[in-house]
Amino acid sequence: MTAISVARRRLPVGRLVLVAIAVGLVLAGFATGALPANRWEPFLLASTWTFLGRGLIVTLLIGGTSLVASLVIGIPLGIARASLTGPVALVVRGWVELVRATPILAILIVIFLGLSRLGLDLEAVQAAIVGLTLYNSAVLAEVVRAGIRSISRGEVEAARSLGLTFAQTMRLVILPQALARMAPAIVSQLITLIKDTSLLFILGGQELVGFGRSFFNFYGNLLETYIVLGAIFFAICYPLSRVARRLEAGQPAGERIVVSGEADQLATATSAR
Amino acid sequence: MDILFTQPLLGNSELFFEGYRNTLILAVGALLGASAIGIVGASLKVWGGTLLSPLAGAYVEFFRNTPLLVQLSFFAVLLAPANLGITGSPIVVGLIGLSIYTGAYVTEVIRAGILSVDPRQIETARSLGLSQVQALRLVVLPQAIRTVIPPLGNLAIALVKNTAIVSAIAATELLKVAGIIETRTASFDGYLAALVAYWTLTIPLAIFVDVSERRLGYSR
Repeated sequence: MTAISVARRRLPVGRLVLVAIAVGLVLAGFATGALPANRWEPFLLASTWTFLGRGLIVTLLIGGTSLVASLVIGIPLGIARASLTGPVALVVRGWVELVRATPILAILIVIFLGLSRLGLDLEAVQAAIVGLTLYNSAVLAEVVRAGIRSISRGEVEAARSLGLTFAQTMRLVILPQALARMAPAIVSQLITLIKDTSLLFILGGQELVGFGRSFFNFYGNLLETYIVLGAIFFAICYPLSRVARRLEAGQPAGERIVVSGEADQLATATSAR
Repeated sequence: MDILFTQPLLGNSELFFEGYRNTLILAVGALLGASAIGIVGASLKVWGGTLLSPLAGAYVEFFRNTPLLVQLSFFAVLLAPANLGITGSPIVVGLIGLSIYTGAYVTEVIRAGILSVDPRQIETARSLGLSQVQALRLVVLPQAIRTVIPPLGNLAIALVKNTAIVSAIAATELLKVAGIIETRTASFDGYLAALVAYWTLTIPLAIFVDVSERRLGYSR
């Protein structure tokens, strides 16, 4: 009881001091001229926010589309990864490992430029969705594999011996449990995915960062715009990270799929001992 | 090998290996930087008390929840001669940006390593006559390392892959070099070679992680 009350009293103090430091830094910035107030003025205009809002919509659409497509491809891929044996399993494993070993930006550029060389001209946005889906489906396949592996083999055997087919076993017994365990990892991966949509800008596509660049090319307030862009991404990703943590905390320790390191590096998507 | 070492690549091999070297410099340098930041960050988070602990937490949350591209672009402008005047070198900006970004993840990994050891073990070690430093070095550290090595390996892989984003601020690393070769020779081979070059770094690391997980008794 005392521990809890101490913790409750502690938190706001630390946060208040943090806010005070942040406000102090900003004031110091204004005072010394490092953060000229006039460069922030464009952010008071409604037109700025409708402009950046259009970029944000593109970002969210790309993120959402890629997530859904990645799940559609990644779940069967993960089931294949967990249950296949023999040469096909090696091919699936090779594919998943190779994609995960490649920088997402390299994948995006190779798809964007490579496909147009092959005569298939994609727009930057389309190429980004294809690339993000390719990459994230491989990552999610590993998450799904870890999730399935974390369910006791006995459950598969029991379900099969009750007369369920493999597909029924997966759909009715294994996946519902595995998905619950995978939920935090999937949400974490969504954060990475949303952050990665910013790379579309390198392909020349117009999403949030691209709109931000056009914006500061007009007003000349580079640093300020980057701070605002960062804040917008933070406002989306931070709540998601809280959701991931809440989901994780809701699971018994022995059943967690541990996401170690950066979310997209799920080699250690191990079930905790 | 013939497929890889085509004319456009041979003609630009020096440039290509400069890119490879710079990617390595970025990855190794930022790994060292991120480790240093991570050790300090984790210590602050665990033992920092009311003020420093939330500060370290804010650092972690902020840098993990914004895109690396935005951070790098921000640092490139901030550190440029026109503003703070610290550096105009994209490689240096990349090193700083990657260190700070990856440091946030390393902080969390090391913190989890520290917390994985039951604090009662320290009390026990102390009551057996070990000093605080000895207890940390002989009891906590060996167990914490066990928890920390595989995730750190994963972060190293992510870091190698993230060096590609430094091309966006015009650092001549692998991906940028591949683009230059494409402009010069109209050949796509630079990009294919860059993919293979990344794999020469990430795949051995992935194998290392795999082996270390098994050695350290992670169930898979």
